[in-house]
Amino acid sequence: MHAIFRPPVNWRHRRFRYGLVVWRCLNCGAVHQYATRICRRCRSNRVAEDRLPDRARLVTLTVVKNPPVSFEKQAPYIVGLVEFEDGTKMLTGITDCEPEELKPGMELERVVRKIAEDGESGLIVYGYKFRPVIKRR
Amino acid sequence: MRRVYAAGVGLLKVDERWEQSIDSMVTQVVDGLTEVRPWKIDSIYVANAVGEVLQSQANLGAIVAEDLGLVGVPAVRVEAGGASGAAALLAGYQAILSGLADTVLVIGVEKLSDATPEEAVFLPTLSERYDYVGFQGVTEAAIAAMMYRMYLERYELPQEMVAQFPVLMHEHASKAPHAQYQFKTTLENVLSSPIVSPPLRRLETTAPADGAAAILLCSSDALSTIQHEQVVELAGAASSTDVVFPMEREDPLKLNAAARAYYEALARPGISRDDVKVLEIHDSYSILASLILESIGYSELGASGLDVKKGIYDYGGKVVINSFGGLKARGHPLGATGVYQAVEIFLQLTGRAGACQVDGARYGAMVSLSGLGSSAYALIMKER
Amino acid sequence: MSKLSGISILGYGAYIPMFRIKAAEISRVWGLSESELPVVEKSVNSVDEDTATIAAEAASYAVARAGIDPSKIGAVYVGSESHPYAVKPTGTIVAEVLGVNSRLLSADLEFACKAGTEAMELVTGLVASGMIEYGLAIGADTAQGKPRDALEYTAASGGVAVVIGRSGEGAIADLEYASSYVTDTPDFWRRGHERYPMHGSRFTGAPAYFHHIISAVRMVQEDGYSLEEFDYAVFHQPNSKFPFAVAKMLGIPAKKVEPGVVVNVIGNTYAASSMMGLAKVLDQAKPGEKILMASYGSGAGSDVFIFRVKEGVLAKRNRAPLVSELIERKRYIDYALYLKARGKIRE
Repeated sequence: MHAIFRPPVNWRHRRFRYGLVVWRCLNCGAVHQYATRICRRCRSNRVAEDRLPDRARLVTLTVVKNPPVSFEKQAPYIVGLVEFEDGTKMLTGITDCEPEELKPGMELERVVRKIAEDGESGLIVYGYKFRPVIKRR
Repeated sequence: MRRVYAAGVGLLKVDERWEQSIDSMVTQVVDGLTEVRPWKIDSIYVANAVGEVLQSQANLGAIVAEDLGLVGVPAVRVEAGGASGAAALLAGYQAILSGLADTVLVIGVEKLSDATPEEAVFLPTLSERYDYVGFQGVTEAAIAAMMYRMYLERYELPQEMVAQFPVLMHEHASKAPHAQYQFKTTLENVLSSPIVSPPLRRLETTAPADGAAAILLCSSDALSTIQHEQVVELAGAASSTDVVFPMEREDPLKLNAAARAYYEALARPGISRDDVKVLEIHDSYSILASLILESIGYSELGASGLDVKKGIYDYGGKVVINSFGGLKARGHPLGATGVYQAVEIFLQLTGRAGACQVDGARYGAMVSLSGLGSSAYALIMKER
Repeated sequence: MSKLSGISILGYGAYIPMFRIKAAEISRVWGLSESELPVVEKSVNSVDEDTATIAAEAASYAVARAGIDPSKIGAVYVGSESHPYAVKPTGTIVAEVLGVNSRLLSADLEFACKAGTEAMELVTGLVASGMIEYGLAIGADTAQGKPRDALEYTAASGGVAVVIGRSGEGAIADLEYASSYVTDTPDFWRRGHERYPMHGSRFTGAPAYFHHIISAVRMVQEDGYSLEEFDYAVFHQPNSKFPFAVAKMLGIPAKKVEPGVVVNVIGNTYAASSMMGLAKVLDQAKPGEKILMASYGSGAGSDVFIFRVKEGVLAKRNRAPLVSELIERKRYIDYALYLKARGKIRE
């Protein structure tokens, strides 16, 4: 049922999912998660590959208590909206914390985690998540 | 200019119809329409959102045409997520206005009870961009919950201002024989029901439902040649789209597609929103009821909850919303929902709404959404 | 043959998942008395972590410390006994996450708890031969312990990566010596398609762990080194007794072992275990100090290394989280959540 478990689908999205490689419009700044030659916001054809930064700020969050297919074993899990310094907003899983520890405006860092696995025999899918920045002394 | 009429309607009680499949639901609901004679159909539009995923059944146009004994009639399935039914109605409206068809059968059918609980969460999420949203396990309910939280924070409102919508819906559905949930509920019940994604509670969402509804649309020419009991005019219909991911919209709490579609539809007959006395809105999540009513101008921003408290949206108020319980309580059989909305307005404008009757309505309207407002459809119906 | 020159560690990085379970919590379920617990607590990977994600995070810290362009890395080897796939390399996932060039040597290694140091041996050889400019050697595991088995108290999750390249400015430690001692000793194994390993219980001691590490260190002595010249000794740390016991047999004072010992608070991170000790020592060592390291992998063998700490460590140390900071980042879970995180709840 899940497209991500199909090898070509998983494969062609790997650079976005592993490293937030995106296509940015050089005219209006809009970000596309897929390779495109025309900006979906301003129709400019000046679009170039870019990479979103490793850190972003939390805008809002919730918890998925009723998970969809293939996410049963992870529930409950946190999902949230993050905003990068360029204003790009993105949905993401948030890991390594409890919802109570998260406050809007808080800085989060990107990690690569296991997103889901296709049973015991199918593909394991990896991708970005965000988590609170590791505390340094 | 040609005019479009609805000359007959049918609907099934929204329920878990374990014994029925898509085809048997379709034949049953259309059976109720055959009071219309002669039975001559130029075109069929079948609205269905997830049949090819859940029942492994696509190509519902040809399948339904055969099931109805209408082999030879052009037939196609229409899919626009939760607004599939409204999209099929718009297609039928356009077909008649274009002059290419005089009679169009619009059917909405969906069977969600075949889904496991996890699939029932997954399927509505298909309306969001799967490769960037769904793949992460983010659900449509979770995005709705984030919009809900933003709403409460922006307008500094207690949750009850939104959570009272389901209470009103259950109140309306308690008199509707075809509603899925005919029990009344209380604000306390809603706010103590299990959390789906905070702050969203289970009684602020819909449950898997099976349903089928149908409408026969016809031109003025056809109307004079066919036998029918009651008629309403489809006075306007329109649709619009928006940025798919709500959080990328200029204002995530403004449903611009809904506003554009609604005002364009109102402009066809040239009426104002205050002429509409019966309004069906797409309350698949309680928060969407607030956002729709504020986006299409019935309530000030952040004030829809207050307006519910004032009784503006109930019988005797400015406009009765979801007089049969809406998506929340009548039920939300995804692709069929839009057709249910239109059938319910038909029942209201023809005085057949029973205990749910709204008196004195000349115009009724509906707003239907796919995803969280990424596309919107509006229809205006007029008493004849 | 085993002496090297011009080869250095240019970057290192450790990663430890944040969950911890206390050994006492495990014994609460299975009824061991507190006095027999082999460690205080161990790290547990989250439900969304596996050897690939742990390896990738450790490697990203190693590359950050090295300060090199990841596209210049010519080899990525991941040693583990818990590779996510039986067939399909972990190394290619890690390389893609890091943005490493595709002109790359990569393979997964398995040699129980010394698979990570085996990766170091291979990368060292590739750099020394001139085949590659930089290489990443990673030891990472989400080690399996059968419920109630002695290993359940210690089998932990974690990873360490090192970037090895030619010596020069910015070197963290020069690699002066690398060798290995192996025999066919069946002290611990896991057959294909089995979820949990088997072990020879007390047979894992004298003929296995102790024999191989001591034999490896004897090679160092035979090659002209005196154990007195080392400021630190890092050994594989399967429990809190073995590294000190082997040091005692070798006549190495406990205070030289102590700085690298983390097993008490994170458990045995298997392929990362001795490398975690090395990372902890590099977090605190001064330029000029010398480190003796001997890993141990069941089956069995010991890789032995000598490092001389260089000036570069001072500037690079703080470019990524220290082992102690990762140890402090923790959340305790009970046995039920541990079973959930580890996928031990079967439908």
